Amino acid sequence: MSPTPSPSARPISEALLNRNRFRFLGLTPGEIIKYFFNGNAVVAIVVLALITIFLFREGAGFFGQNMQNLRIYRLAGLEYVDFIRRQVDEHTAMNRALNESRLAQFNRLTAAGRTVEEVNTALAPFDAFATAFGDSVEDVRGVLSDLTEVATAIKQKDQVNRDRLEQKAMLLGAGKSDEADKITVTPVDFAKETVTLKGTFPACQAANQQFAGKLQAALATAPAMPEAKLQKQIDTVQAQAQALIASLPEIERQMQEWKHDAPIPLSRSFTSFLFGRQWLTASFWQDWYGIIPLFVGSLLVSIIALTIAVPLGVSAAIYVSEIASVREKNFIKPCIEFISAIPSVVLGFFGIAMLGTALRALSQVSWLSWFPGFPMSERLNSLTAGCLLALMAVPTIFSLAEDALNNVPKHFKEASYALGANRFQTIVRILVPASLSGIISAILLGFGRVIGETMVVLLCAGNRIAIPNFTEGLGAFFQPVHTMTGIIAQEMGEVVTGSIHYRALFMVGIVLFLLSLGINYVAQLIVRRYRISIG
Amino acid sequence: MNPTDTKTMQSATADPDSADAAAPAMIEVENLDFFYGQAQALHDVSIRIPANKVTAFIGPSGCGKSTLLRCFNRMNDLIDVARIDAGRIKIHGVDIHHADVDVIALRRQVGMVFQKSNPFPKSIYENITYGLQIQGVKDRKQLDEVVEKSLRGAALWDEVKDRLHTSGLGLSGGQQQRLCIARAIAVEPSIILMDEPCSALDPIATSKVEELIQQLKTKYTIVIVTHNMQQAGRCSDQTAFFYLGKLIEYSKTEKIFTNPAQKQTEDYITGRFG
Ligand SMILES: Nc1ncnc2c1ncn2[C@@H]1O[C@H](COP(=O)(O)OP(=O)(O)O)[C@@H](O)[C@H]1O
Ligand SMILES: [Mg+2]
Repeated sequence: MSPTPSPSARPISEALLNRNRFRFLGLTPGEIIKYFFNGNAVVAIVVLALITIFLFREGAGFFGQNMQNLRIYRLAGLEYVDFIRRQVDEHTAMNRALNESRLAQFNRLTAAGRTVEEVNTALAPFDAFATAFGDSVEDVRGVLSDLTEVATAIKQKDQVNRDRLEQKAMLLGAGKSDEADKITVTPVDFAKETVTLKGTFPACQAANQQFAGKLQAALATAPAMPEAKLQKQIDTVQAQAQALIASLPEIERQMQEWKHDAPIPLSRSFTSFLFGRQWLTASFWQDWYGIIPLFVGSLLVSIIALTIAVPLGVSAAIYVSEIASVREKNFIKPCIEFISAIPSVVLGFFGIAMLGTALRALSQVSWLSWFPGFPMSERLNSLTAGCLLALMAVPTIFSLAEDALNNVPKHFKEASYALGANRFQTIVRILVPASLSGIISAILLGFGRVIGETMVVLLCAGNRIAIPNFTEGLGAFFQPVHTMTGIIAQEMGEVVTGSIHYRALFMVGIVLFLLSLGINYVAQLIVRRYRISIG
Repeated sequence: MNPTDTKTMQSATADPDSADAAAPAMIEVENLDFFYGQAQALHDVSIRIPANKVTAFIGPSGCGKSTLLRCFNRMNDLIDVARIDAGRIKIHGVDIHHADVDVIALRRQVGMVFQKSNPFPKSIYENITYGLQIQGVKDRKQLDEVVEKSLRGAALWDEVKDRLHTSGLGLSGGQQQRLCIARAIAVEPSIILMDEPCSALDPIATSKVEELIQQLKTKYTIVIVTHNMQQAGRCSDQTAFFYLGKLIEYSKTEKIFTNPAQKQTEDYITGRFG
């Protein structure tokens, strides 16, 4: 303390202790501010945790229910019937190929100036062959429809039982035990029921024999084709049919060995979801919840989108950060960033009304017909959705890539120019490599943006739940697909809460969630790991 | 080298008075006025920099030393607001702002070493060969030779010859700066500009770079900006003192340090301001 304090000055100790500071609920302003921001962060984390918990809680039940689904499939003998159904399905597919081949020949001949009658006479041998081919499966089809009835009946019976049990439990829960006692449930004796199914084995075998014989005879009458391309198609059908005939003994062996109570490994419940190639719901026969078609659809659409958006976004970023004048920069940047302000439903609307039609019209231009997959058969397909998603990804990629480029220290650029490099060389050899990690994470985040987008794909991807036919090469990009986001948006409104379908949709949601999480994590990792090397 | 034209210089301080006036000038600046937007950074600067000598630019921060240096290889072209209003700069007698001058070729003739050592985030080898590779040189043998020659020229060869393919950023500060010098001499310039090359180095690294400058002077014309008076005294032949964008005094180094003609120069050198 000062030895001679001036009378007006408070002692220093007094000045240090400020007793009547403003307090609210015992908190100083500094503390209030701290707790305010702290609280916001906590809310964000809690919400994230709640969403995660909710997702997983709702989704987890799927595996139990799917197990039940698969068990009934076997117990009720649907699996047994499907051995035969597969033959019929394969035959149907081949038949379709033959029909397409006929159409191609027909078009070829009429284009050559023949009249319809002439063409039909010319194609008579082919028609005879096609009819014989088509009829060969009749016996098997007959057996199949009988078996289908039997198996469906068993499944139905089980379902009725199950409903009754549920009703009973509900009544018991409500305390109406006398009413509950009135409901009798006799468990289905699957062993006894499936005996009827297995009893048809000789009939199946006979039908197969007929099938093989007739098919073989029909194949022998296949006429030679006038063109190498058509001949190749017929040869493919021939080979497929021969393979089918050859596989019959093996199928029969499997049918013989089939048991309704053979145990199903628990893992099947997971694998049939993760690797299942069919997403089939509300079917009269058997529901399948395989994510692959949806996953492939999402991936395909994203690949198209990124193929378009990455060059556009990155080049625009390079242009704006390195080449553009200040005025151009001030014009281009807001324009690109404005794209992200367009509501996705508007983009989807544009896709349906304009882009889809325009793309298809383009694909029908005759001098483009050499392009694989052209002309497109559908207006709304992966390409339509991919183009629009690209538009949505461009602002993300552009902004982040531009940041990355701007973060490259100025002295690298100067050193390059001082050595006599021109602008292009400096961009390609110095700036892009130095900001590569940032650019890659920009692309990844663009990918995250695209794969999570819903409205555009729902409106424009065509919504056909099927794995695109990749044997068509690039043509696979012009087929309609359905996506993970699209299916959730489309089906979630219609499903019964708690049903297996409901839970399957949650599982799709979880896959999406984990995918996005993974993408974001990798993007951050890349930025952090390589930031040092930028300088 | 082209003979300099005999136009008389207007500025009194244009020629180092006691310098060998007969020596051909490598760089000639005539009445240069330089602006950043509205702010004038150089006022009527005229100076003749002789070949195969070390010329030092000294002066307080912000007086325009770097600006003038960066005019010599037209690095100021990269700055949108930079512009030259009056005056000319000639190198080898050629006006470097003439329409036929290729700025890329100019920068190959006039190398530059920056204040902050700035090797590319590439290997030592790639750092040296960068200047040649952008000229399209692909021949491996030629590149190998240039790498060795340049690194020897920068007195760095013995220290890095076993790690040519490791990152240039892994070197110490002084080594990085010598790497930058090696990178500059790899394209065989005739002039090397150095903008405070030692300001971030410790005394030992600094003395190595200064030694190197003495060796380089036999082959190159060197212009060095420094705010370290001792450094200017130790390694330069000519010294130019700038103040507020004006060239105040330009003369032989001993003369500037022992017997400056201007009062401002004396004040600065004796540490009375700056
Ligand atoms: N890029 C620039 N834009 C605008 N003004 C600048 C720029 N660079 C330098 N200046 C200004 O020009 C003057 C001279 O700067 P500079 O040549 O860097 O000085 P020195 O190298 O002598 O310290 C300073 O006043 C500085 O603020
Ligand atoms: Mg400077």
